[in-house]
Amino acid sequence: MTLQQLFLGLSTLLASNIIFSATPSVDEIVNRTNYTSYYQGQDGKAKVKMTITDAQNRTRKREFVILRRDVPTTDAIENNAYEGDQKMYVYFSRPADVNKMVFMVLKKTKADDDRWLYLPALDLVKRIAASDKRTSFVGSDFLYEDVSGRNLAADTHALIGTDDNYYIIENTPVNPDEVEFSKYIMYIHKTTFLPVSTEYYDKQGKKYKTYTALAVDTIEGHPTITKSEAKNLNTGGSTLMEYSSVQYDVGIPDDIFSERNLRKPPRKLLR
Amino acid sequence: MTHQNYDTRSVNPIVLFSINHPKLITWLMMIFTVVIISLAALPNFFPKELPFLHSIKVDTDPENMLADDEHARVYNQAMKKEFSLSDIVVVGITNEHNAQGVFNTKTLTNIDKLTKFALSLTWPDADQPEKTAGVIGIDLLSPSTVDNIEQGGPGTVNFSWLMPSPPASDAEALLIRDRAKKIPFLDGTLISDDGQALALYIPLTDKHLSYQLREELLTKIAEFGDIEESYYITGLPVAEDTFGVEMFKQMAISAPLAMLVIFLLLWWFFKRLIFVTSPMIVAMVCALSTMGLLIITGNTIHIMSSMIPIFIMPIAILDAVHILSDFFDRYNSIRDKRQTIIHVMSELFTPMLITSLTTIAGFASLALTPIPPVQVFGIFIAIGVFLAWIWSITFIPAFIVSIPDEKLASFITSIDSKDKNNKTLMARLLIKVGQFTYHHALLIVLITVSLSGVAAYGISQINVNDNPIKWFAESHPIRVADRVLNEHFGGTYMAYLALEVDQNAAVDTDFKPALLARLAIAAKQAKADDYANSEVIFSQLQHTIQNHQGDKASLGNALNAIINTGFDNAADDEFDTWDQAQLFIDSEGQRSQIFKQPKTLTYLEGLQNYINSLGVVGKSNSLSDVVKTVHRELLLGKAEEFRIPDSSNAVAQTLITYQNSHRPHDLWHFVTPDYRKTSLWVQLKSGDNEDMDYVEKEVAKYIASHPMPHNLQANWFGLTHINVVWQEKMVTGMFESFTGSFLVVLLMMILLFRSFSWGLLSMIPLTVTVGLIYGIIGLIGKDYDMPVAVLSSLSIGLAVDYAIHFLSRAREYAERYGSWEAAVEPLFSEPAMAISRNAIVVGVGFLPLLAAPLVPYQTVGVFIAAILFLAGVSSLIILPALITLMPKLFFKKIIRPMQ
Repeated sequence: MTLQQLFLGLSTLLASNIIFSATPSVDEIVNRTNYTSYYQGQDGKAKVKMTITDAQNRTRKREFVILRRDVPTTDAIENNAYEGDQKMYVYFSRPADVNKMVFMVLKKTKADDDRWLYLPALDLVKRIAASDKRTSFVGSDFLYEDVSGRNLAADTHALIGTDDNYYIIENTPVNPDEVEFSKYIMYIHKTTFLPVSTEYYDKQGKKYKTYTALAVDTIEGHPTITKSEAKNLNTGGSTLMEYSSVQYDVGIPDDIFSERNLRKPPRKLLR
Repeated sequence: MTHQNYDTRSVNPIVLFSINHPKLITWLMMIFTVVIISLAALPNFFPKELPFLHSIKVDTDPENMLADDEHARVYNQAMKKEFSLSDIVVVGITNEHNAQGVFNTKTLTNIDKLTKFALSLTWPDADQPEKTAGVIGIDLLSPSTVDNIEQGGPGTVNFSWLMPSPPASDAEALLIRDRAKKIPFLDGTLISDDGQALALYIPLTDKHLSYQLREELLTKIAEFGDIEESYYITGLPVAEDTFGVEMFKQMAISAPLAMLVIFLLLWWFFKRLIFVTSPMIVAMVCALSTMGLLIITGNTIHIMSSMIPIFIMPIAILDAVHILSDFFDRYNSIRDKRQTIIHVMSELFTPMLITSLTTIAGFASLALTPIPPVQVFGIFIAIGVFLAWIWSITFIPAFIVSIPDEKLASFITSIDSKDKNNKTLMARLLIKVGQFTYHHALLIVLITVSLSGVAAYGISQINVNDNPIKWFAESHPIRVADRVLNEHFGGTYMAYLALEVDQNAAVDTDFKPALLARLAIAAKQAKADDYANSEVIFSQLQHTIQNHQGDKASLGNALNAIINTGFDNAADDEFDTWDQAQLFIDSEGQRSQIFKQPKTLTYLEGLQNYINSLGVVGKSNSLSDVVKTVHRELLLGKAEEFRIPDSSNAVAQTLITYQNSHRPHDLWHFVTPDYRKTSLWVQLKSGDNEDMDYVEKEVAKYIASHPMPHNLQANWFGLTHINVVWQEKMVTGMFESFTGSFLVVLLMMILLFRSFSWGLLSMIPLTVTVGLIYGIIGLIGKDYDMPVAVLSSLSIGLAVDYAIHFLSRAREYAERYGSWEAAVEPLFSEPAMAISRNAIVVGVGFLPLLAAPLVPYQTVGVFIAAILFLAGVSSLIILPALITLMPKLFFKKIIRPMQ
């Protein structure tokens, strides 16, 4: 799917949505984007098929289910009310040898996240030090921070352009020493506020990574990326994430997200 | 004029033509040479205007010792690609002025700066502008770019950069050292065994960028100003590039220097500049036009082909010196330059033709070796020798007849006065030698035989070994860097052992019992875990397996079909059960991922332990190290948890944890994503082929006594292995080519002398020379390497020459003077003189090569001198002694009329 096709899809899909007459503020754009990317609904669930392809076109597949629950009880963008702590439970079903492996995050906006890893074959629950979130997510081209979301306050944001379809936002890290990029540029769809494309630049100013939304669907009224690709221009590898069975407001109980439940996955919720 | 008529019939028409048309011959030679040089040189200046011509191509890649399509090379390329392994420049850093070595804030700050600088060194690819060439940042190994895994507080594991930023204090610097020492992959590779030094490994998209990279790094290091630490830049790509630079220096300085020394010696012998210039011109013309032809035909200037001029020059001068020497002595009596040259040429034409043919045979035989650069070397020297012959029999006579008579006349008087009063020291010495050989023939033969015995022992001691790094002189920065780095680290010479499933191995056909047993366990587990209706669902699988006819793949399809139907019709609570059934089938599919299996990894660990126990191996890295390290850190960092976990699922989960790092792709340097192939990295402390050869043989023994699981087979790759492959080819190839050309030359000699015994006799100086040379090489412990190997061909060329000249005169003189005894004295005046002059001029002429910065040239210089000396001595001493002992064998015809 090309970007044009995607845009056409987006437009028809969301024709009924409010069209902003004036350009919103940078703050509003990034908050809306943050919201649509990570906070829609009180909770959410999705099955994900991940295909990792390397420069030699060799592929590896992973399948997992993501359960998410937000601590704030509102979805309001005003005053960033939607933004707050979040809980995530990632349950791996395939490949067969990592079946039942769980990765859990208690994401905190004001402090370091808590992260756990459960390795069933070693019967081991392990806390992972939160020092660095910019590491690969299970060997893919997505990073942990891509899955859990990057704190808005970690970057400064500037609207560097708009066109018919997109707001173009440049994000610069507040602490450049903590990250490997110098900036990233997001192409945010004007009506849905989905980041359709994101480009990362290294410290030498060279583009080295891109994220592209390849399919979008409206699910329960929420515009949702259902196919997303990360490309690593340095390695020549890429990773495709395909979402299915996406549901919002499932009613995921809070006690799922506990260390104890890593060993006892909530089978019904993961079905 | 009557004399002339008689003589012209005995001389070859080409020679006669040259004497009659000296100017034409000179012009022909000049035009020929200028055309060839232009064709070779012009495309370098005007590549666009002359696209159909080849420009100079330099090749310093030792890999090219093997043909492009050679299996070892093709396999090496395929494996390098499969495991994403690149050519690497190594930067070693030591600090002798600090007790903590490089682990102090200042040095680590500089290293961090250098790393960031290296990461920025990418350029648009010259061939594909949309791609970048240069440093491959993702694979660069430096404290700033590698991951650390360690305990991060109770129950917590910490994945982070080893050195996210330069340390603020020396104590922090020591922490970096301690962390790196704990990670087997880094210990001995990134950090030195003694914990004092660091090495950066900078991979390149193309090894030909290494010289550029080195220059950039040196500039950056210079910017650091006054520093305590030392930087050593090495690695095979740097060595190769530097070798190319040195090779040109060598060709531009050492070879002309050799020419100059030869020139001065010739001048000293013949006293007249005008005499000396002609052999120099011939040598120059032959060397230049051969190299020109080499370039025109699109061949590369390689370590071997760069030596072509050095080999051609002595051979070219050899013939010219024979003519001049003979002319020099004959002119006294004949006193007519035309008559003299006709006489000289009619006498020398046949021996010169034969000596050239034997030399050509010797070198052309190298075309039979399986090493392309050696083939090119042999063929082009053969061409050069042919050119030398052509120009010697045409240009030299033409040149001599062009010398004005007055000049020659003044020359004679000086010779005469000298000759009458006292002969030169050398002339008197040679006469004495002649007498000695006649009177002590038996002693000479006995000494020769005993020396041959010693030589035979020496040959048995020969050690076959080559090492491209040792092509540099000991004091060369490359050698110094190599020494320092291999003292501190596990070794900078990488060899890789690939383990993979043998595709041709027999497949286990009776797989069902084991499969059913595993299914029973899975079914039991599903029941214990309360999956709904699990007994019924799993028994469906069981029946399908039991009743299936056909191979594993078709069974897999059948089972998947059942499961898909099951999912479609499953009641809500059966859904999870069907998922368990599918999980079982999926995990059965993963059994093909043999390098996740503890059994395979344990074998790999054992093999690696054995390799590490070999003295020449500094270190090795493998997939099992990765698994063991991560397993240890997941389990509280306890030393006893540095082991392979018990199940393949545990291995898989350990590895997926490892991939939660900044560098998930590092894993694919050790195993392919299908887990069917692995590469074990072996670091050797030296690039000596004998060391690699030893490791290969020991590993083969180990594998033979410890059979590998899963029908695995092991194959080596990497440049260190490639070197061993071509060395083996060189040794056997050289032996065959030498034997072949020896037999060809023997046949030629028998035909030339029309006598088996004379033919055999003429091979004796060659045999003795080669025997002694290689005997000496064995005795002094000089490794038999590539330059030494090709010297055998040069021996054939030179040693037979002397024998032919000596023996053809010996026969002629014995006939002329009526007996062998009477022939000895005249034989030891003029012909022996020519041989001695030849040996001295050419031998001494090549000693300047000792000043060359590259060891192969030094070797060639020393051994050319030794070959010439030995060939001269054995021709002049052994041949007359043998004839004296067995006159009847050699002079049947002469002796009979005397009786």
